[in-house]
Amino acid sequence: MRDRLIVLIEDNADDAYLAMRVIGKVCADRVIVARDGEEASQLLKNLAADGLHSRVRLVLLDLKLPKLSGIEVLQEIRSSELLCGLPVAVLTSSDNDLDQEHCRALGVLDYIYKPMTIDRLQRVLSQDKEP
Amino acid sequence: MKPAQSQHAGAPADLTGLSLLYVEDEAEPRVMVSKMLVLNYPNLTVYSAENGAAGLAAFQEHLPDIVVTDINMPVMDGIQMSRAIKEIRPDALIIAVTAHSDTSYLLNAIQIGIHYYVLKPINYDELFSALDKVLGQLALKQLVELQNRRISESERQLALAQRIAHLGSWQCELPGGSMTWSEEMYRLLDHIQGSQAATLDRFLERVHPEDRDLLQERLAASAATRQPVVPLYCRIRRADASERILKVEATVMSTRKGAPVTLVGTALDVTELKRAEEEVRSLTGALERRVLQRTSLLQASLRELEHFSYLVSHDLRAPVARLEGFCRALVEDCGECRNDNCRTYAERAERVVRQIKSIIGAFNELSHYTRCGMVIGEVDLSALARSIGSDFQRTEPERSVRFHIADGLVVQGDQRLLRIALEHLIGNAWKFTAKKDRASIEFAAQAQEGTRVYFVRDNGAGFDMRYVDKLFKPFQTIHSPGDFTWSGTAIGLATVHSIVLRHGGTIWAEGEVDRGATFFFTLADEPEPGSYYERTH
Repeated sequence: MRDRLIVLIEDNADDAYLAMRVIGKVCADRVIVARDGEEASQLLKNLAADGLHSRVRLVLLDLKLPKLSGIEVLQEIRSSELLCGLPVAVLTSSDNDLDQEHCRALGVLDYIYKPMTIDRLQRVLSQDKEP
Repeated sequence: MKPAQSQHAGAPADLTGLSLLYVEDEAEPRVMVSKMLVLNYPNLTVYSAENGAAGLAAFQEHLPDIVVTDINMPVMDGIQMSRAIKEIRPDALIIAVTAHSDTSYLLNAIQIGIHYYVLKPINYDELFSALDKVLGQLALKQLVELQNRRISESERQLALAQRIAHLGSWQCELPGGSMTWSEEMYRLLDHIQGSQAATLDRFLERVHPEDRDLLQERLAASAATRQPVVPLYCRIRRADASERILKVEATVMSTRKGAPVTLVGTALDVTELKRAEEEVRSLTGALERRVLQRTSLLQASLRELEHFSYLVSHDLRAPVARLEGFCRALVEDCGECRNDNCRTYAERAERVVRQIKSIIGAFNELSHYTRCGMVIGEVDLSALARSIGSDFQRTEPERSVRFHIADGLVVQGDQRLLRIALEHLIGNAWKFTAKKDRASIEFAAQAQEGTRVYFVRDNGAGFDMRYVDKLFKPFQTIHSPGDFTWSGTAIGLATVHSIVLRHGGTIWAEGEVDRGATFFFTLADEPEPGSYYERTH
């Protein structure tokens, strides 16, 4: 089975650490981390260019990001021919950050309140269909 | 002599205060006629004298209104006496009784001003008829004097009333502009009465130049249309440069087309009234400015508060979530660690974090109620209370609680917020009656000093009035943990307080340990839907 990838877009080091720990408990997938919106955008483009986008099992996207916002990254994903089918789950610490309707319109798989727990991630991954 | 008649046609009914002097030198007729006079005119005071000199003396003493005199008498004759009497009192009425019919006497008598003649020997009918005529004259004179006194009295009263009311009256002929002014009108216009004829020009010269045209226009329009003058205010400049404000009104007297017009009007000094109005206006302006100032101050501090609550709700949540994440990691990973304390500490720390989160949640909820918009409409509190009561009954069907809910408690307010408030109040009552066998919850209203006071009363655990001040503060509880089911963060009553305040009301409570609690609240008749918070989000 080919290596699968989880893309974690999270600017806060602690949150990134906690998320990676939970991912490590749940699966053996490789995790690629982007620290801001621009970096994420570039990373996803590179993946597409290298033909690796089909290996992405899940994108965990924090909405509050430096430079490009989470929503903007999401819009880029949905408008890209290669990336538009990626499963994206949104990470948030407060309802205030979450524009649920906007996210739903952009085809978000799920909303995860921080801290993400093992159970929660397992449930999200179980919704995900193999590409 | 003929006997006197008892009735005299035309005689005035009341002769009180009138007196008559009868002068006659012959004793017998003097006594006889005097008696007849007294008999026929009981209210008339009758004096008598035996000659002209004695008559004059009696006249000087008594000043009678009427003199009946013989002409031919010793010492001083009637003509001489009458002349002297007329000098003393020109309006004295004299009836001459004479045997003379020669013209020289008569001419003299006419010159002197003797009014009537009765020929001797006296015929009583003639005498009384002459006397009645004289008395008739006197009565008429008295009547005129009385009327004159009444007229001048009412004129005096009118002038005084006008003075007190600062109300002048006037009359004006148009075209021409000749006027008459009441005493007060002179005073209002600061003209001296009698110094010059009152005219429209003299009126206008006192009117402020800016108001003059309008006054002239209104008077002319009224004269042209024969309609009352449209009332107007004119400033009057007095000689000492002080200014008064008059309200001028008038109506048209003559309405015949083409005829000159007479305007009859008033001028009311409204200076003080206008000044008070001006003062009220400026005070209102100042008050409005202050309200604006206060509102912007209030909004500024509310903005700060909003920033603070945003900080709590938002910026604090992320680190708290992180803390929770690490606690979870500890709990999960310390399964691999040998130290039992580690796991206990991690679990406890995780609980603390959850508490912090619920406090933040409660804080947000509470601040939401103080600033959310309100939709004001008719709310049936009775129906709400019944529906809330049956909801509670459904959740715990094993409990038996008697609800007494008064009908028809309909108010103006926000349905959603009032439901939340009632849910908390009835929920409290439900919770604190849990240990009662015969629990009862009442929702009703009573009039208190003209205000409708709503209340939720239960017969449950009650509370100690010493702690009443803590009731409505958030995050405070007055029951020990474990006494009743822990219901989160103790913001229920603080929420109710906030909602009642938003509805312009107040809330208070009474209670006794084990004897139940009553929560009272009022609501404004027409609550303001707005919030001091500016809509920034």
